[in-house]
Amino acid sequence: MTEMDQRKKRVPAQILITIGLIALATGIGWGFRRLSFPETNIVVTYILCVLLVARLTNGYLYGIASSVLATAAFNYFFTSPYYTFSVYDPNYWITFFIMTLTAVVTSALTTKVKQTAWIARQNEAETSALFQLTNRLTDAVDKETIANLSVQTISEILRCDAACLCFQKNGSPDSSFVQQHGMNRQVRREVDDTESLRHRIENLRSPYDVNAEFYDCPIYGRESILGIVRIPVDTARQMTDAQTRLLHSMIESIALAMDRFISAQARVESNEEAMRQRDRSNLLRAISHDLRTPLSGIMGASEMLMSLTRDDEERYQLAFGIYKDADWLHSMVENILNLTRLQEGKLIIHKQPEAVEEVVGVAVAALSKRAPDRSMIVHIPKEVLMVAMDARLIEQVLVNLLDNALCHTKQNDEISVCVQVDTRSSQAVFTVADRGSGISETDLPHVFDMFYTTQRSGPDARRGIGLGLAICKSIVAAHGGTVMARNRADGAGAELVFTLPMEERADAETK
Amino acid sequence: MQKPNEQILVVEDDAQIRNFVCFALKQNGFAYTPASTAQDALTQLVTGQFDLMLLDLGLPDFDGMEVIAKVRSWSEIPILVISARDQDTEKAAALDAGADDYLTKPFSATELMARIRVSLRHLYQAGFMKMQSSACVRGLKIDFDKHLVYLDEHELHITPMEYSLLALFFHNIGKVLTTKSIIRNIYGSGYGTDTQALRALMAGLRRKIEANPAVPKYILTEIGVGYRLVGE
Repeated sequence: MTEMDQRKKRVPAQILITIGLIALATGIGWGFRRLSFPETNIVVTYILCVLLVARLTNGYLYGIASSVLATAAFNYFFTSPYYTFSVYDPNYWITFFIMTLTAVVTSALTTKVKQTAWIARQNEAETSALFQLTNRLTDAVDKETIANLSVQTISEILRCDAACLCFQKNGSPDSSFVQQHGMNRQVRREVDDTESLRHRIENLRSPYDVNAEFYDCPIYGRESILGIVRIPVDTARQMTDAQTRLLHSMIESIALAMDRFISAQARVESNEEAMRQRDRSNLLRAISHDLRTPLSGIMGASEMLMSLTRDDEERYQLAFGIYKDADWLHSMVENILNLTRLQEGKLIIHKQPEAVEEVVGVAVAALSKRAPDRSMIVHIPKEVLMVAMDARLIEQVLVNLLDNALCHTKQNDEISVCVQVDTRSSQAVFTVADRGSGISETDLPHVFDMFYTTQRSGPDARRGIGLGLAICKSIVAAHGGTVMARNRADGAGAELVFTLPMEERADAETK
Repeated sequence: MQKPNEQILVVEDDAQIRNFVCFALKQNGFAYTPASTAQDALTQLVTGQFDLMLLDLGLPDFDGMEVIAKVRSWSEIPILVISARDQDTEKAAALDAGADDYLTKPFSATELMARIRVSLRHLYQAGFMKMQSSACVRGLKIDFDKHLVYLDEHELHITPMEYSLLALFFHNIGKVLTTKSIIRNIYGSGYGTDTQALRALMAGLRRKIEANPAVPKYILTEIGVGYRLVGE
């Protein structure tokens, strides 16, 4: 827009230059003729004049006009009959033709060179402005600094008081924006109506939005609008195409810098979150770990106290109470430890083919030790069943399931462990069943939920913290199996079932 | 047949556990010397006369494994390792390094005393056992001369492999044998650490000697570590 204005302003001057130069050439030619120099010199002088016109003016128009003018002037002043446009000697027509042609080509070439140089200069200015901006933005440590530097650089390059308004993460504009004020000062100004501004910017169809004071150009980030660059209306109206292009390039750079900052920030945040998570688990594990040793001491000491007293003494009962509670605490500590490891996702599962009977045997033996007066029925397939698993963890699952069954049954209720092969789905099916009172309908969907404990148990019942079955679910899921709880179809009692896939064996063998 | 007052070195850094272990030892008629660091324990071992060492793997100054290796370089004293729960590999490594048995915290005093007795009996019978022509654990009897196995007086048909496995256990009654050491003994040292063949062999043997292989009475599984033939 301004480029056109400038050109218009300079038109009279350029016409003046053109006419003046032609006149000058004519004058020199006049002198040559008086000195009886050959006419060739006059022609060459005209061509020089056309070249100068092309050099000193903008565009092709003046050069071509001056070519024609020069030929006309030569014809008028220096060919007989003088001071007319008619020619006696037809040879002159050739002279005119070649002269015009030469002049036109010369002026065209000169103009072309000039334009190339001008574009090069423009590009260079653009590049250096961009470089300046990117260079400054590299060191920016936060969004604020990016905005400040951008405003400063844009203001310098466009010679105006530009402004920048940042948008928040949720896409709504900040309540205030920063604006350049003079050379070295920046001021903060309030935004009147952030909501309507946001609405206008989000529904923008053109590259900028115009309001009373500013042209608002949005800064588009990878995912959202990061802010707007505001150029004062007066400056914006006068910007050349090149300046507009430059502004857009600069906005691109700003967007890149802001995006970089945002992703860096996100990285820092996720690192911090991971760190916090790790600290928390480490703390929990350290506590659990340090609880084990004193618990061992308490259990051992209370056991010794029990051995020192007779069964029917009150002291024995007290010592026995200490022992039982310590034992319960211990199993809870183990569960919490397992849970933290499972939650961290750090629990490395060492799957290898294990004989199912061994794992079941160990779990049953552990429970028999804990509750020597209870008996369990164990069924395993006749054939040796090898399933890929982490034996330690599956033992834990079985222990938790059996423990759960023990907790929810009375002294003489039957508890059974059964392992079968489902050849159809190629899975090993483990079932822990009891003849207790079963699981109520309200509890059934939640038994594997973390921290879920039934409301039904009597006032004296030992409350769990609802971790045992949740851990089972996590472990089995990590093995690629499923867990399920249901009431028995063949009478009273509950049935907890988990499956482990068996196809891994083939994989292990092919390895 | 137990001599009175066997000397037991108790190496444990936690005072509470050390106290209770010492108390239990006293109750059961053992003499004991407490030590709270590995350095202390090694000094005691060099200067005193001990019949058995109880060793906690998590000592403040030295790694338990180093202690075992050091002691084993000059002494055959039975070592009973006490460890925290989730250290399966460490347990197996300790046993392979020369420890005789292990206990996991928390353990009961009864269990501890039983293990100590087994280890001490081992010490006395070590040479004697090899000369015996037969051994018997409850209903299970092995005839080393004839390579025969009887369950409740009935002869069992077992393969030579199963026999050598069982014989190995009978030579180490009550002692935990690591999977690695069993494989080395049965298949030879070139066999590597493929546990699968051993598991299959064990399953076959159990089907012959146990009423229910999933509730074994004779050979118990120690998950992640190995197996043990239960004596009493």
